[in-house]
Amino acid sequence: MTLAEDNGPERGGDDLFAAEYVLGVLPADERQIASRRIDSETDFARLVDGWEVHLSPMAAAYPEIEPPASVKPAIDRRLFASTAATSAEARAGLWSSLAFWRGLAAAAVAALAIYIAIPYVNPPVAQPQARLVASLAADGSDVKYLAVYDAAHHEVGLSHVSGERASGKDFELWMIEGKNPPVSMGVIPVGSTAHIVVSPAAQQKLAQGAVLAVSLEPAGGSPTGQPTGPVVAAGDLKSI
Amino acid sequence: MKSVKLDVHKAISAVANTSQYPNLPDMTPQDITKLIVRTSMKDRAAFDLLYRQTSAKLFGVCLRVLNDRGDAEEALQEVFVKIWTKADRFAVSDLSPISWLVAIARNHAIDRIRARRKPAADIDAALDVADPAPGPEAMVVAGDESERIHHCLDELEKDRAAAVRGAYLKGESYAELAERHGVPLNTMRTWLRRSLMKLRECLER
Repeated sequence: MTLAEDNGPERGGDDLFAAEYVLGVLPADERQIASRRIDSETDFARLVDGWEVHLSPMAAAYPEIEPPASVKPAIDRRLFASTAATSAEARAGLWSSLAFWRGLAAAAVAALAIYIAIPYVNPPVAQPQARLVASLAADGSDVKYLAVYDAAHHEVGLSHVSGERASGKDFELWMIEGKNPPVSMGVIPVGSTAHIVVSPAAQQKLAQGAVLAVSLEPAGGSPTGQPTGPVVAAGDLKSI
Repeated sequence: MKSVKLDVHKAISAVANTSQYPNLPDMTPQDITKLIVRTSMKDRAAFDLLYRQTSAKLFGVCLRVLNDRGDAEEALQEVFVKIWTKADRFAVSDLSPISWLVAIARNHAIDRIRARRKPAADIDAALDVADPAPGPEAMVVAGDESERIHHCLDELEKDRAAAVRGAYLKGESYAELAERHGVPLNTMRTWLRRSLMKLRECLER
């Protein structure tokens, strides 16, 4: 059985080729050919779609597995952090974040200056991720914080950028690492800046780049140990 | 230039109720359809909700095919980038919304593993979860079509049906299937093609 006779112009060959593509058994080069034909030939695309419909019930056997919390922010960075964004809405988001990041850039420049200066003053310290920064924000919320994790002093410094807590409510800071449930880092004190001491257990997780999130909780913090109110801001820690 | 058949019903039902998304757990296929169509209009809130609703299923797909968490996470990112950029294509598909998303994830994961096949025998054994019985969510994916494909698979010889199921779920190549069944590659290809022809005949009956 050769490819030439099987993939001939007659409907049977194309239909089988479509079925093999959907089943997933083809080698890379033939999958590329199929993929190009899906884009350029409506009839072939329809054959593929038909087989997808036929075989899709088998997909019920795939289990649902929660991906780590770091995946979605990474997707958003890929899609929305570049100037390639075209829609008006995406552009609005980009502009507001540009304004925000401009502020952050100043901080980064200052940090960079320190980094450049340090080797001349002291020998280099073996702590490559001594300082991590996260911008905490969320769609549909005006709450924004800038978070800086200072590994040397075991504390997270928070700068309140915008958004007020409702009366009788508090903002609570959470650390989310991989698939684990959020770990409370405490209620965020009211004010334009705040410092939260990090427990030894949380230090290493933060150093590896966990996600920080802020939720709205009853005054005094979540009564359950897990977030009970909406997450009003979140972001992942990156070294600068 | 490809002619595009726009599914007017999909588009209208999606636009008709845009202001509020229902609360999370009980999303119907219609709800997912709305989220996909809103995503094609570059609505980020809809995209976020679509991610929350479907990422666990699509991650399950990527993980099953790729057998490597890091790879699967990377693949899942690329899958959702594709969903954002190609959501408009959903309108020309006959697939249910969940099946359409699964097809994107499956095909992407298979392309990825074809491009770079790692020796993953040990990981394979460690991660190979038994196929769970289809849960309630499966019913959403399935419908009448489900009974037909399972009925038609039952008409095949047992080992051939198993090869079709295995190929579909794990994205195994002809080469890998041939090795596992201890037959030459061409024999395996002939086998599976005959099985597919029989399936087609049964499905169109």
